[in-house]
Amino acid sequence: MSTGEALARAAQATQVEIPQEARDKARELGWEDGLIELALAKGHSLQVIWQALRAGVDGDRAKEFLQAGQAAIPRDLSWMNVPTEWGIRARPKDPAMGLTIADLMIGTYGDVPDVWTNRSEIARGSFPNPIVEDMGYTIFEKALVWADCCIPLYEEAIRDRWVSATDLNWNSLEPLPHDIERAVCQFLTEQSERAYFTGALWSGWLPEISYGFLELKLFLSTIIYDLARHSEAFRKRALANGGGLGLQAPTDFSRVAKEARSFPELAAILFVQDSMLYTLFSHGDEFAQNELERDLYRFVARDRKRMLDYHIERMKHMLFKLPDRRDEQNLYFNKAESRMGKEWLDPAVSEPLAILLGRGVDHIDEGRRKLRDLRKLQVDNYLADLQKATFVRKHINGRLEQAAQA
Amino acid sequence: MAANPATEATLDLSWLDLYDDATSAEPGKKGLTLKEINLGRYADSARGAGDMTYRMRGAIPRPGAQRFGPNYQSKADVWAENCLMLYEEATQRQWSSARDIPWDTLEPLPDELERAMCQLATMLTEVEFIAGDVPGQWMPFVSAQDFEAGLFLMTQIMDEARHTDVFRKRALANGGGLLAQGAGLGLRTLIEARDFTEMSVLMHVQAEGFVQSMFRMGELIGQTEADKRIFRMSAQDESRHLAFGVMHLKYVLDTEPERREEIHHYLDKAEGDAAGGGSGDVTFPPVFEALCILLGGGVDKFDEGLQKFLLLRKRQINEYVHRLTVAGLGDRRQRLGPLMAQFLDPA
Repeated sequence: MSTGEALARAAQATQVEIPQEARDKARELGWEDGLIELALAKGHSLQVIWQALRAGVDGDRAKEFLQAGQAAIPRDLSWMNVPTEWGIRARPKDPAMGLTIADLMIGTYGDVPDVWTNRSEIARGSFPNPIVEDMGYTIFEKALVWADCCIPLYEEAIRDRWVSATDLNWNSLEPLPHDIERAVCQFLTEQSERAYFTGALWSGWLPEISYGFLELKLFLSTIIYDLARHSEAFRKRALANGGGLGLQAPTDFSRVAKEARSFPELAAILFVQDSMLYTLFSHGDEFAQNELERDLYRFVARDRKRMLDYHIERMKHMLFKLPDRRDEQNLYFNKAESRMGKEWLDPAVSEPLAILLGRGVDHIDEGRRKLRDLRKLQVDNYLADLQKATFVRKHINGRLEQAAQA
Repeated sequence: MAANPATEATLDLSWLDLYDDATSAEPGKKGLTLKEINLGRYADSARGAGDMTYRMRGAIPRPGAQRFGPNYQSKADVWAENCLMLYEEATQRQWSSARDIPWDTLEPLPDELERAMCQLATMLTEVEFIAGDVPGQWMPFVSAQDFEAGLFLMTQIMDEARHTDVFRKRALANGGGLLAQGAGLGLRTLIEARDFTEMSVLMHVQAEGFVQSMFRMGELIGQTEADKRIFRMSAQDESRHLAFGVMHLKYVLDTEPERREEIHHYLDKAEGDAAGGGSGDVTFPPVFEALCILLGGGVDKFDEGLQKFLLLRKRQINEYVHRLTVAGLGDRRQRLGPLMAQFLDPA
């Protein structure tokens, strides 16, 4: 470099503002005062100097490097040889499903620890940085959240995705009698709100769960996405056929879910709702008034089955790992059943279903009889679902029992 | 309207005739989308006051409804004019990391390139993990009066799950593995946000903008067709998140211009944190070096890669400032920290 060029670069260097963070880092690494300016004068960009500082190049090395007139910056490359498990070649076990997250459960990458101890967002299986900030996770215990089925269910949820805008035949809708249309709309107003609320509720718990249970978080993300779709699909149906949105949903059940102080409590409460709703929507043909609603309820039931499968297996796993927490679950089930029973007795909840099941307000007695049968089935299936989770609920809440017989 | 418990003998039916306007949304060319049902008293323009319940916009308030704790009462706090369209686009463009990536096109790479790709994937799976938690943190505060914004965030949570899994898959699919944890990637600033707009400008506009600029150089970074497809598909999703952030910021600045200085304050902090690299910082040494190796085509072409890396940073910074300008925050140009300002093209 000629003297003229050096002076020109030095003049240019004086125009570059050197951030205080860079000066502090340079001092920490023992860089002499003026070395950053010298590097700039020699034509190194601020970014390149900054990369050297971030890489921990000490003062002596930096000086030697600059005096030697090297053009390149020193490299570290130590990350290439960190002691993680190497040589992994995951392959699809089922070509129809493609490369699933189940296929990644290889070697140490498949170890889901009983207790995860890292408080950062480290990817499970990567080499930990010893100095990282606490990211504020609160759930580190596998027994509280985990179910093995979350691994296949995640990929199934993606495979089974549907789109309300185009997968439902909106052009097929035909006018319904006033009472029936209003009943559809009231039922779906309630369900749209429940789905939106539950999606928001699950969402709020995501940041609590640490990376150790990555696959579970991925699965919960599909639940949240499903609930978004249910909420908007129900709203669309309510606004597509001469009706509108009716009275907002009762708040008792959702409030008790919102009040949950821990993930197991939340999951126990939502077990009750998700079991009941699965039974309801899987019998959607009985209250659907047209092909579109039948399709809609079938889609929803398929999604809700995945949620229920998770609940059953999580509960079973938790009770196996933490048997001393078995009786505690009765407290949560009791609260949830009580609120649900109260809501089932609400006319804006029960009457629309009775009208739909009876095919009109004139046949509401028949509809009520069918609703009683359906409510009984919901309760029976719920108790059976609990049994699958190895939980025997000896006495359901009296209010729910009463509501099921009303 | 009182919804009283009904018995066999009584019939309430008070819910049956609460409104007298019949609504019949018609499907459009893209089916029945949120746009088609955004009409009459159900439209976002007819939004009433929130009530701290989860009552959907347009539903009749229930007497005695319990509150659920604070949520945003003002539309500007969470809204973006494009969120209806973005939600529908998200549902149409969901893809599968299992089946839409041509994993069978992966072929053994020279060790240094495989390690560099795995290091980048390790960093990205971390970044995308946080990017799912962050909107999750804010969902409970998005009122159902603005439910379309909430629906969009729920699609983002799904997108980020897919990104988290696809980069993990990439690291474990070609004879490699995960490598060094990222640190100082500027991700804490995202989870530290205490306001939705703060979160959105830092995550959607800055962090996802930087990631998007990088993904759009995926043709240069990716070494195989599978890698390139991963970047293309992920970039498609990031575009939506970014578009939401830009339009949310625009909505805030249009309707609440007094918040301008407050928003600068958040950006001052975020640009200063993460060693000046912003959120999703690619200047973290292992990521920086991995990118230089991938962009150059090997360790022996590191310097060539460095030049491309500097181009990447230039692209990231200029696109970032352009997006802020589109949102109405063009004066950010004068306030960028030196580590970003060094890359800024003249106005």
